[in-house]
Amino acid sequence: MNDIHQMSSPLVLARNRTFPVVDELAGLFTDRGIRQGSTIEVTGVAALSLASALTISVSRSGSWVGAVGLPMLGSSAASDLGIKFSRWAFIDHPGDQVGAVIHALIAGVDLILVGPDIKLRSDHGRKISALMRERGTSIITVGKATLCNLRPDLCLRVSQAAWTGIGWGHGRLLSRKIEVELVGRGADSNLRSELVWLPDKEGRLNIVDQSNEPANFLRSAYRMQKALPDIGEQVLQAS
Amino acid sequence: MVLTNTRTLVLIIPHWRVIAAGVAHDHLAAVVDKDRVVDVTPDGAEHGITPGIRRREAQKLCADLKIIDDDEERSVRKFNSVVTALESVTPRIEIATGGWCSFPTRGPSRYFGGDQALARIVVERTLKALSVALKTTEVPSVIQPRIGVADSRFAAVVAATSKSLSRVQVVVPEGSAAFLASFPVDVLASKYSPLPEAQELVDVFRRLGLKTLEDVGSLPSEELFARFGSPGLLAQQLAQGIDGRAPLLHSISDVVSEESEIDPPAEHVETAVFVAKALVDRIHQRLAIEGAVCVRILIEVESEHGDVSSRLWRHEHQFTSADITDRVRWQLEGWYQSENPPTGPLSLVRLIVDETVPDSGQQLGFWGEKTVNDERAIRSFVRIQGLLGPDSVTVVQRGGGRRLADIERRVPLVAGRFDPDQVITLPESTTAPWPGRLPAPLPLAVLPQAQQLEVTDSNGRRIGVSGRGHMEEDPVRIRSDSLGSHLIIGWGGPWLLDEKWWDPAMKSRQARFQFLLEDGTAHLCVIENGEWWLEASYE
Repeated sequence: MNDIHQMSSPLVLARNRTFPVVDELAGLFTDRGIRQGSTIEVTGVAALSLASALTISVSRSGSWVGAVGLPMLGSSAASDLGIKFSRWAFIDHPGDQVGAVIHALIAGVDLILVGPDIKLRSDHGRKISALMRERGTSIITVGKATLCNLRPDLCLRVSQAAWTGIGWGHGRLLSRKIEVELVGRGADSNLRSELVWLPDKEGRLNIVDQSNEPANFLRSAYRMQKALPDIGEQVLQAS
Repeated sequence: MVLTNTRTLVLIIPHWRVIAAGVAHDHLAAVVDKDRVVDVTPDGAEHGITPGIRRREAQKLCADLKIIDDDEERSVRKFNSVVTALESVTPRIEIATGGWCSFPTRGPSRYFGGDQALARIVVERTLKALSVALKTTEVPSVIQPRIGVADSRFAAVVAATSKSLSRVQVVVPEGSAAFLASFPVDVLASKYSPLPEAQELVDVFRRLGLKTLEDVGSLPSEELFARFGSPGLLAQQLAQGIDGRAPLLHSISDVVSEESEIDPPAEHVETAVFVAKALVDRIHQRLAIEGAVCVRILIEVESEHGDVSSRLWRHEHQFTSADITDRVRWQLEGWYQSENPPTGPLSLVRLIVDETVPDSGQQLGFWGEKTVNDERAIRSFVRIQGLLGPDSVTVVQRGGGRRLADIERRVPLVAGRFDPDQVITLPESTTAPWPGRLPAPLPLAVLPQAQQLEVTDSNGRRIGVSGRGHMEEDPVRIRSDSLGSHLIIGWGGPWLLDEKWWDPAMKSRQARFQFLLEDGTAHLCVIENGEWWLEASYE
C-alpha cells in the first residue's frame, strides 16, 4: 500500500517533469526547461527582464503564472517580450499575508514569480518548498531567493549587460546584450553561460549571433561594470 | 472584504402585465411571450396557471382563458404614471420594467420619518395613480402594490414578493440575513432574482438537501465556488443579504456619458431613438475598453422648449444595446402620453452610464468552457481575495494612450466572470500608432507612481529644458531617493508629449529622456513644469 502511494505521489513524478523555456535560454537548463517544484533565483542588472523571459513559454502553454509583489512589471514591454497575459494574475501587495498567498498560489498556478521586496518567514519558506515539490509548482525569484527565505535550486545571474543605440544626447536605447551565468546544484553545478539580446530592437528576446561579433564585444566600448545589486530592488524600495 | 449594501425600497405591482394589457383583474386572461405564460390574472392563477408554463398547457387548464401577446413597451408606458407619482417622493427611482421599480431609502426615509412612513406614502401615491389609470375609485386588493424595504436589493425584492406576508414588509436594518434565512432556495430562481438562469442551480441545491437560503448562506464560500463557480458565490451572497453585484462593482476611469443634439429637432419618437442608437453604440465601445457592462443608465431627453424627461433604468444582469434603445423608446412613448408631454420637438438625447460591473462573458458559464487548470487557478485566487480583499488579484487589460499609465491597466479579477481568452483582446489600441508613443523597446519596470528626481550638470546645478525640450546644460548626474546618486554615461531625447493640447485644463507639456547610468541601468525620465520625474526603468 505504501509503495503504491509512493509511486502515485506527485513527489516522484514532478522530478522528471519540466516547464518549457524558450530556446534562447533553454541551453542554461540541464533538462532544457524549469524542473517542476524547483526554485530559481535571478539576480543582476536585468533580473526582472530575465525572470520574465523565463515565463514566456509557460505563459503561452495554457499554464497559469502568478506574480507576487511585482506591481511595476509593465505589461506592454512584457507582451513585446512574448509573454501572454491571458493566464497571468498579479498579487501586488500581499503584505503580511504573503505566506498564505503563496501557499494558495501553489495550489492553483504552475509558476510563481516573486518580486524583490517579498520576505517570507523562515518556517513558511520551508513549508512552501515542501509543498512546491509535492505539487510541482516552481518559483522564480527576482533578486536573492535567500532574502525571502527560499533555498534556490538554480541561480541565474546577469553577469554583464551592455546597451546599444544610445549616445551622448543622441540616439536611443535600442537593444541590450546580456550574459547570463548559471550556478546550480547537482547536475547543474557546472558553470554555464548564455549570451542573449534582452531586449532586442523589437523588444524581444533573441540569441546573439556570435559568428559576426568580435569575441571581446563585452569588453569593448560599451562595457558595463560587473553586475551591481539589481535595480529592480532599488526601484521597488521606494514604491 | 467590505461589502456595501444600499438600503432599498422595492415596489412591485402584482399581475401588472395583464393589467397593463387592459384586462380587468377578475377576468380569465394570461399574457404570453414566445409561447410561454409571463403573467396571469388572479382568477387564472386559481386554475393553476403559473408564469413559465406553455400556452397550450395553460389553455388545457382553463379553456376560457383569454391569451394576450406580451408587449413590454405597453407595460412600461402604463407604469409611467406610477413612476411620475413617486417622483415627488424621491428623484432616484430605478425602473426595472413595468410594474417593478426601486429606490434607495436613505434620503426619503429620513424626510418622511422612517421606512414604515415612507412605505405608507409610497403605497398611498401608487394607489392614487393606479385608480386614475384604471378609472376605478378603489383598486382591488389583489393588484395593490407590494412593498419591501431591506438592506439589500434582493432581500427587499423577496420581502415585496413573498405571498405569505403583508403588503408592506419592512426588514429591520442588519436583519436581512435573518429575514431571508427561512425562505426556500427557489426564490433564487424567481424572475426578480439577479441570478441569471438559476433554475438548474436551485434544483441541484435541493438535491443536495439545501432547502433554505440559510443552508446556502452558511456554506463555506470556497466550497460553493469549487462546486458551482461564480453563480454559487453569488447565490450565497444573496442568501446572506448581500447584493451580489456590490463586490463586483468597479469604478470606471471616468463617467461614461454620451449626448447628441437632434438637428433638426425631432417630432417623432423614432427619430430620437435613432439618434440614441448611435450613442448607445459609442457607450458600448467605451465600456468594452474598460471591460465593463452597464447595469444602470440614466436617460435624459430635452425638448426645444427646455422640457426634460429624465429616468433611471436598471437591469438585473446587463443592458445590451437593444435593451437601452428600447428603454429610450419606452421612456419617450411614456412621456408623450403623460400629463406633461413635451411642448416642442425633441432636441437633445443624453445617456449617462450610472453603474457598471466588469464584463462577464457570464453567459459562458463557469463549467465546460474553461480548463481544469483555470478552475484550479481561479479557486486559489478566490482564496487570496478572501484574505486580502476583492481588488487584490489583478489581471492585465490594455488601454490606449501615450502615457505608460494609460497603456498599462490592471483590473481586479472577478472569479467566474473571468474568461482567460477575453482578457487582452478588448481594444485594438495597442497596435494603433499613437502619435508620441514611446519608441520600442518599452521599459519593463513601470513605476505605479512617478518619483521625483534631480538631474544636475557638472557644477551640481539642476537642469531644466527649453520650450522645445532641449536640455539647457549637459546632464552629468542623476539623484533620487530610490536610485541614489549616479553618473550619467549616455542619454537620449527629448520625446515631446503635448497631451490634450485642445483642453486647457488638462493640458500638460512634457518632455521625456532616456538616461543610461554608470551602473548599467537605464531609465525613462520626464520633465514637466521644470520638475524631473522617474517614470520607468529599462530593467
